[in-house]
Amino acid sequence: MPDILCCYKWVADEAYIRSGSGGDLDLSMADYKISDYDKNAIEEAVLLAEQHGGTAAVITVGLPDDTKGIKDALSRGPEKAYFINDPAFVDLEPAQTASLLAAAIASPIPYDIIICGEGSSDLYAQQVGPRLAEKLGIPCLCYVQKVELNGSELIAHRKSDEGLEVVKVSLPVLLTVVPDINNPRLPGLRDTLAAGKKPVVEFTAEDLPSIDTAALATTATKAATIKRNSRLFDADAAGIEELVQELKNSGAIA
Amino acid sequence: MTGVWILAENLETGRELITIGRTLADNIKSDLTVITWQSELSQEYIAYGADKVLLLPALPQDQPLQSYIPVIAEQARQDMPEIFLLTSSLLGKEMAARIAGQLNAGLGSECTALRWIESEAALEMDRLFYGGAAVQSIRCSHAPRMATVAPRSYSPASRQEDKRGTIDELPAPQPSPVKLLERNARSQAAGDISEAKVVVCIGRGFMKQDDLDLARQLAEALGGEIACTRPISQDMGWLPEDLCIGLSAKKVKPDLYIGLGVSGQIQHLTGIRDARIIVAVNQDASAPIFAAADYGIVGDLYEVVPRLMQALSK
Ligand SMILES: Cc1cc2nc3c(=O)[nH]c(=O)nc-3n(C[C@H](O)[C@H](O)[C@H](O)COP(=O)(O)OP(=O)(O)OC[C@H]3O[C@@H](n4cnc5c(N)ncnc54)[C@H](O)[C@@H]3O)c2cc1C
Repeated sequence: MPDILCCYKWVADEAYIRSGSGGDLDLSMADYKISDYDKNAIEEAVLLAEQHGGTAAVITVGLPDDTKGIKDALSRGPEKAYFINDPAFVDLEPAQTASLLAAAIASPIPYDIIICGEGSSDLYAQQVGPRLAEKLGIPCLCYVQKVELNGSELIAHRKSDEGLEVVKVSLPVLLTVVPDINNPRLPGLRDTLAAGKKPVVEFTAEDLPSIDTAALATTATKAATIKRNSRLFDADAAGIEELVQELKNSGAIA
Repeated sequence: MTGVWILAENLETGRELITIGRTLADNIKSDLTVITWQSELSQEYIAYGADKVLLLPALPQDQPLQSYIPVIAEQARQDMPEIFLLTSSLLGKEMAARIAGQLNAGLGSECTALRWIESEAALEMDRLFYGGAAVQSIRCSHAPRMATVAPRSYSPASRQEDKRGTIDELPAPQPSPVKLLERNARSQAAGDISEAKVVVCIGRGFMKQDDLDLARQLAEALGGEIACTRPISQDMGWLPEDLCIGLSAKKVKPDLYIGLGVSGQIQHLTGIRDARIIVAVNQDASAPIFAAADYGIVGDLYEVVPRLMQALSK
């Protein structure tokens, strides 16, 4: 019966990004959410635990205030959360996040399968999963869209640049999953209430080896939202003829 | 220390990496090494600008290409390249992250531009984040400075007739714990949307696969290609993936883009940023695509498209 650990990131929702004065990135309006594809990772962990009688837990690195994310994650089915947090964990780079996860997991946290989303919806650097696998010295399968588990053997269908590869590996393994793997469930009120009662194990900076200094320095960030004139035409025949005329005038169509 | 390394997966993206790799190698007054597993291309990479080729031996049938990772990481540990570039293909992104993990290297993902900052001995990399709603520049000043480079960010290097270089073989990798059981090529789309002048994009506003003919007819009438949003290719599987536009798919730069039933989330808009004219048809006036469009029609695509066809035939 496999122990499945799922990593997620609590991120600012990109839908609320505004371009501030001078094109600065304005996140002051932003709401936070579980990174989109990490919801698929949580769902897959829970599905596998349901099918094979194992356990599903989540693990995340964040700021001490990010407890809303823990509750959200637990309402999606996992039975336990590991919360690595410290006020200093601001804008960590993927290598640092992977090191913190690896140190906590080595403490140890039991696992047979670790599941991550293919990339976070904020940085989308797609590094934490593969880096974590290397730190733990376990096999890594990326872009997985289907998983079959037979005892200690896992068969994965993963996306490749040419199409699809079917691969086989013995546990333990780390998977990164693409959104087509499943449809994440929508937690109901009962799930949210139950989530508040599930155990949360905390790790702070003192519990773990000091994090590596950052290898990357951010020298500029700018909003790049796309804004154009948005001239509207009526949906009736006359409006559409007007649009076609406009497109012809602008040379977009012959 | 050795100069600039690139991992070439194929001639097309390999030549693009050579272009920027050559520039950076000249900046740091060092040489350019190409790593490849395609022995037949070794001489080609030299002709296109490599000073040295490191050739990986062929793999047994049941070994995936990722099996090369430990060999490449070990060689990098020994030679410590100043800069190491890969393409941001699925394979390139995975290999880069795992090699960087082994070497504790800084890695910029899916970069669109790279610059050498002499005063800090840093590689500066530009990349999108927040689904394309923002851009960032990051610097890395410790070898190996790693980056994956987005396809088509640089033009392919051209052939130099008299270019010389050396070819060395790398050791064969240990058998990987991951066994390849099957490899299936995906069905390829007929046209190439990244070069098309007119693109008609299909979004989730289409109710069923049969209805896509409506978009096909419009594309045909305009002499263009059809394309789609991620849910259409990935979730519904109605169209092949190489027709998908966006952050995690293709970027297009047509004269005319028409989005039909496309909501216009930032991850999709990122792929049409360079379109000359953007037209949106969506029944929801508050859909974000309208703010990003030059022209819009608030209406049911099932009614609007036939009228559009009629207006075009006049
Ligand atoms: C990390 C990450 C990467 C991503 N990468 C990509 C990417 O590369 N490409 C991509 O496309 N997406 C990508 N996405 C997904 C993206 O966020 C959106 O979910 C997706 O683009 C939405 O596709 P859609 O507009 O077809 O569907 P929806 O958002 O469901 O929109 C459908 C629209 O159709 C309209 N509609 C419905 N019926 C009709 C009708 N009869 N007539 C007219 N209009 C109608 C609706 O009003 C709605 O606005 C990514 C997401 C993440 C998190």
